[in-house]
Amino acid sequence: MTQQTAPRPPLTITISEKAAHHVRKFAEQAGKPNATLRVGVKGGGCSGLTYVLDMVDAPGESDKIIKEHGLTLCVDKKSYVFLAGTTLEYSDGLNGKGFEFHNPNAKTTCGCGTSFSV
Amino acid sequence: MSSPSRAALASLAQEYEALTHGVALLDRSRAGRLRFQGKDALDLLNRLSTNQLNDLASGEARATVLTSNKGRIVDVLTVARQDGHLLVLTSPETPRKVAEYIDFYTFSEDVRVEDITGATAMLSVTGPQAEAWAATHMVNPGTDVAVFRDDFLGAPGYAVVVPVARRDALWERLSRDTGATPAGEEAVEAVRVERGVPVYGRELGEEYNPLETGLRPIISFTKGCYVGQEVVARLDTYKKVQRRLAGLRWEADARVDAGADIVLDGEGVGVLTSAARLPDGAGVGLGYVKRGVAEGAGVSVDILGKLIQARLVEM
Repeated sequence: MTQQTAPRPPLTITISEKAAHHVRKFAEQAGKPNATLRVGVKGGGCSGLTYVLDMVDAPGESDKIIKEHGLTLCVDKKSYVFLAGTTLEYSDGLNGKGFEFHNPNAKTTCGCGTSFSV
Repeated sequence: MSSPSRAALASLAQEYEALTHGVALLDRSRAGRLRFQGKDALDLLNRLSTNQLNDLASGEARATVLTSNKGRIVDVLTVARQDGHLLVLTSPETPRKVAEYIDFYTFSEDVRVEDITGATAMLSVTGPQAEAWAATHMVNPGTDVAVFRDDFLGAPGYAVVVPVARRDALWERLSRDTGATPAGEEAVEAVRVERGVPVYGRELGEEYNPLETGLRPIISFTKGCYVGQEVVARLDTYKKVQRRLAGLRWEADARVDAGADIVLDGEGVGVLTSAARLPDGAGVGLGYVKRGVAEGAGVSVDILGKLIQARLVEM
């Protein structure tokens, strides 16, 4: 008997509708309503790898492009290795406002939540 | 430590005297040398290591600890800012490890790392009189030569990095014309151990954190995050450092090797990591001892069951 399983969706980076709304708001305030959201990682931070969010005019040539909720996200290939499967959320709860990375690759996260290790 | 000949002892005494009271000339070409290029190189090193590097001026050099995300020592580096690039000194065993570590943490930054250890040589002039020596003898180094202050042995010192083909001529000139006494590995090792300067594979490595090793002077507690910062800050704030690097001294004419247990009142309180002999015959050592074992404490070093009396000394 062969058991059929649903194919796993490809790993990607997703952005919640609420986070997308706030990105659009920031982009409009910055006078760049059509900006691309660069999502990435850089070395540093207590745990070794720090999340990066930036507004750029256009993606880089070798970037991976993701379109969701009317937004264009770009991520460089090396950062993507550490971010695949991540959901970008926006929190405005009692613990503070801001974007949050829910990254399944992160083994540890520093106290302030801005850096992680794999 | 084998028994040295009388001539070797005389030479050792002369070299030790230069290192501790005069000016000595050393060949430190075994140390790793990496050339960092790219506009983001200094910022990246600042994010990955303990010391404040962002304000490093051209011609200046500063030591820093490359730390893991667990706050452990990957290596101690000396970062020398030159015109258009950084020259980074590593331990002899680690240039490749450091280059790979940097590569892992380089994403979109403009940073290129080249291992120039084999293509260059490094001489050092060090000792209490080194500043006066430099005022008289230091000249414009010319092209392809890096000269920077490097107090690596706990005394004023200067490092000179040259293309390897120019090493012999430079050594000849500095040893013949400037009054700096050539010193060999044995004398340097004696001074290193006596002054408590840690080296990779003995006192430095990922089994230790920089607070245990006494590297506080090259840790910035105000610059913000670097890899491992949270662990280092927590250890410091909550006084959780469990051991420290201590200096030992003994008078017995005995062969003492690293790895020996350090014993206090019959209980093991630490492990010897380095041992050397001074020209006067005294033995000196370095070892990690438990927190609370104070300087001046009379301890023993356990040599295969034979206890050698020693005491913990200020470094």
